[in-house]
Amino acid sequence: MRISLFLAAVACITAAVLMHTSRLEGRLLRTDPNAIPSSTALMGFARGRGEALFEAYCTGCHGTRGEADTARGIPDLTGGDWLFGTGSVSDIEQIIKYGIRSHHPKAWNLAIMPAYATAQPSVRDDKIPPLSPGNIGDLAEFLTREQGQSADAAAADRGAALFAGAGGCYDCHAADGKGDSAIGAPNLTDRITLYGDGSREALSMSIAYGRHGMCPAWMTRISAAGIREVALFVYSLSHPHGAPAAAPGDG
Amino acid sequence: MAHLRSLEALGCGALLGLLMAGYSLFTARGTSTLFVPPEDVALVNQQPISRSDYLLQLQTLYNVDLLHSTAAQRRRVLDDMIREELFVQRGRELDVASTDPDVRAAIVNAVEQEIAADAVTSQPSESQLRAYYASHQARYAGEGIMTLRDYVFPPGESRAAAQAAAALKISAPTPALLAQWHASDSGKVSGEEFYFAAKIHLGEPLFEAARNLSDGGVSAPIARPDAIHVLYMLENRKPVPMDFAAARDQVLTDYRNDAIERLRTGDEAFLRKRANILIADDIRR
Repeated sequence: MRISLFLAAVACITAAVLMHTSRLEGRLLRTDPNAIPSSTALMGFARGRGEALFEAYCTGCHGTRGEADTARGIPDLTGGDWLFGTGSVSDIEQIIKYGIRSHHPKAWNLAIMPAYATAQPSVRDDKIPPLSPGNIGDLAEFLTREQGQSADAAAADRGAALFAGAGGCYDCHAADGKGDSAIGAPNLTDRITLYGDGSREALSMSIAYGRHGMCPAWMTRISAAGIREVALFVYSLSHPHGAPAAAPGDG
Repeated sequence: MAHLRSLEALGCGALLGLLMAGYSLFTARGTSTLFVPPEDVALVNQQPISRSDYLLQLQTLYNVDLLHSTAAQRRRVLDDMIREELFVQRGRELDVASTDPDVRAAIVNAVEQEIAADAVTSQPSESQLRAYYASHQARYAGEGIMTLRDYVFPPGESRAAAQAAAALKISAPTPALLAQWHASDSGKVSGEEFYFAAKIHLGEPLFEAARNLSDGGVSAPIARPDAIHVLYMLENRKPVPMDFAAARDQVLTDYRNDAIERLRTGDEAFLRKRANILIADDIRR
C-alpha cells in the first residue's frame, strides 16, 4: 500500500514537472524572441537548457564560452560585434536554424570572399577578375591605412582605387569599407578580425585565397524549442547583465 | 431488460464510431489536431507553418518584429504563408514534380542537402583534419609568382634569337642590346604575375618553359607561329607548400566536401539498389 502511494506520488510529481516544463516551453516559443531577454523567468528557464545544447552541438567550433579563435575563423560570440545580422535573438535563432553557407536555401549564403590569387576568384560570379600579387599587396596596404595604421601612401592609394574599382571590393564591403551585416560582409576599417591578426600578411592571405567559413543548419537536429534556447544562451554571452534598456517609445 | 440495454449501448457506440469514421474519411479536417503546437503559427491540413519563419517573413516584409507589428501586417503575412502552403499541397496533389523541371531540380537539391546534413553538422577533430592534410598535402600550396620578360624576334631571325639568348645569360637586357637584334618585348606579361595568370598570358608552351627558369635564367629560343620567343626570368618564386595552420580553412572545406560526396554516392547506390528500373531494349544496347 505504502509503495503504491509512493509510486503514485512520484508519478504525480513527475507529471507536474513535465507539465510545468511543457508550459514554459510553450510560453518560450509563443513569446516574441526579442522580448524574452526582458523576462527573468523565461531567460532563467532557457539559458541553462540552451547552455547544455550549446555544449552538445556547438563547442566543437565555438568552445564552451563562445570565444573567438582567429586561427580558425571562429567569431567572438561574447563581444557584441555581429558579422551576420544585428545580434538580436531572432537573428541568432535564424543562424542556428538555417546556418551560414550551409547550402540550405534559407541560410546566409550570399557573401563569399573571392580567392583573388586564382584563375576564377568566384565560382558564382565569373566577372570578378583575378588580381596580381602587386594588386593584392596594394589592397592590404590600403586596408592597413583604413585601420588607422601607418602605410605606404602610394601603395595605399593604388589599393583604394582597386577597392573602389576593378577589384569590386566595394560591392560587398561598401564604398567606405564598413561592411554590410545584411550579407555578412565584415567591416574592414575596425581592428576586429575574424581571420588572423589583421597584419598585412593575414589580409593578403584572405584576399589571395578567399574565406568561406560555415555554420551548419541545425533545424533537423535540434527541436524548435532547443534552437530558441541555444539562441538565448548565445545572446546571453554578449549580454551578461541581461537585455539592454528599451529605447524610449519601444513597446 | 439489462441485456436489451447493453445491446442499445453497443448499437449507439457502433453508430458513433461509424459517424466518426465517416467524418474522418470524407472531410479533409476529419483527423485534425485541434491545437497548434507552440513552435508553429498555423496548421494547414496538418502541415505546420513555423513561427520562426513567420517572424522572419514579418521582418523581411515590414522590417518589424512581432511586438511592433500591426494586426494588418500580421494578417497579411499569415495569409501569404497559408496561401503558399495551400498551393504547395495542391502542387503535390497535381504531381507537378513529374512535369516541371524547376520543381524537380529543387526537390533533387533538397534531397542532396538532406543527405549531406550529417557531414555538414559533424565537426571533425583536429587530428582527423591533420591526417587529411597529410594525405592530400600536394593540394595545399600557395600560387607561384614570376616576373619575366618575353622577347620576340621576327620568324626568320633564329640566329639572332640564339645570339641574344647567349648574351642575356651574361648580361642583363638593355634597350640598345635588344635593338641590335631587332628584338622587342611582347608585352604579354608585365610585372609580377601569379603562375595561373602567366600561363594564360603566355600560353601553355611558353609557360612550361618559363616555370623552370631560375632567377636571371634565359630560355632557349622557342619558335611559335607568331614569332621566336626568348624568355628572361627576373624572379621566379615557386609555389610554397602551406603549413596546416594556413591551409586549415581549405582543409576543413575539402574534408567536408569529400564526406558529402561519399554520403551522396552511398545514398545513390542504395536508391538504385532498391529501385525497380526498367530500361527500354533499344536504349540498353
